[in-house]
Amino acid sequence: MSKADDRRKAREAAALERQRQEQRKRRLVVGGVVVAVLAVVLGIGIAVQASRDTTGEAAAVVPGSSEAAAPDAVTADYGVVVGDADAPVTITLYEDLQCPICAGLEAAVGDRLNDAIDAGQVQVEYRMVSFLDGESENEYSSRALNALLATLDSGGVDAFKTLHDQLYAAQPAEGTAGPEDAELIADAVAAGAEESTVREPIEDKAYAQWIKNATDAMSRNGVNGTPTVFVDGERMGGDPAQAVLDALGG
Amino acid sequence: MPPKYAVALGVLARLVTGGVWIAAGLIKLPDPAASVRAVRAYDLLPESAVTLVGHGLPLLEILVGLLLVAGLLTRPAAVVSALLLVAFVIGIASAWARGLEIECGCFGGVGAKEGASSAYPWEIARDIGLLALSGWLVWRPVTPYSLDAVLFPTPAPSPERILDVQGR
Repeated sequence: MSKADDRRKAREAAALERQRQEQRKRRLVVGGVVVAVLAVVLGIGIAVQASRDTTGEAAAVVPGSSEAAAPDAVTADYGVVVGDADAPVTITLYEDLQCPICAGLEAAVGDRLNDAIDAGQVQVEYRMVSFLDGESENEYSSRALNALLATLDSGGVDAFKTLHDQLYAAQPAEGTAGPEDAELIADAVAAGAEESTVREPIEDKAYAQWIKNATDAMSRNGVNGTPTVFVDGERMGGDPAQAVLDALGG
Repeated sequence: MPPKYAVALGVLARLVTGGVWIAAGLIKLPDPAASVRAVRAYDLLPESAVTLVGHGLPLLEILVGLLLVAGLLTRPAAVVSALLLVAFVIGIASAWARGLEIECGCFGGVGAKEGASSAYPWEIARDIGLLALSGWLVWRPVTPYSLDAVLFPTPAPSPERILDVQGR
């Protein structure tokens, strides 16, 4: 092997090393730029999602503040109280108006529950929430609850309870379009609300923010689905209808 | 495995894993509040982290999915993909072990569901399958039809090839 050969080999090795280093540098620079862009995109995206999520913001319209609704009709836990405060048993129910199992529960024990409420045997706190708009073609879950709260403020607790039962009896199937606002207004009036005070809040979805906060409060209370039944503050597992019947003494 | 199959597996792993991530993220994107509740339902993270994860996770899933499908930063993306899947398997398994009946929230959907736990084994199996594909990409990140191949031309050509070129 000649000296020239050696020199050529050394030159080539050096060139190769330079090329490798350049590639490494390019890799770091391009990779760094891509990662930086991704981090910015992620940061902006999180900011956008946070601004779209109004959960926890103060609700401008709060149910239970009208003259028609009793002053203590709505609890701090976003529940609407129906029945005698002195009743020996307290049942707390989490329900979504689009939830089929809730409709099943109402069909199974609704009449029995109404009798017990009338007889002063039980007080029921209805914690109505809305997370099933995705199961409806026209956001029935939140619109129906909004109409129900407007009915409470317009017609009082009796009107609330009447419409609540009516909405479950006529629940639209999941994946379909539920009744539009005009029909909800008619239902509200039929249940005892004044059309003059119930139309606007229904059409404007006046209670939307309160409903979001109520649904978030359910999640914070460790309740992740409906129906969930509490009897005298204790969470009931198993069949919800059975839990209600047991609480009422069979 | 013959190289031809390894290459095909790499591209397939990118498209399948990336496609699932993009779908999972897009479905959850429209309703950030529901995403936050789904994270909270697992009852694993402190409340201070729940909101950030609920808002950020769908976006992270979409980004990882896009990187994998495009073949950009394949290895780091596959590492993140694998880590997320390990976290999800732990989350579902722990919900199962604690007797929680929650929908996994993997593709939207939120909260408790009657008989939700019956889906846990299938959800874990699916995640482990995706984990295996992600692992393959961590091991063999160089695939054709990828932006990596364009942006980061593969390691220095062999000395013979340089000689070839210079010899001409």
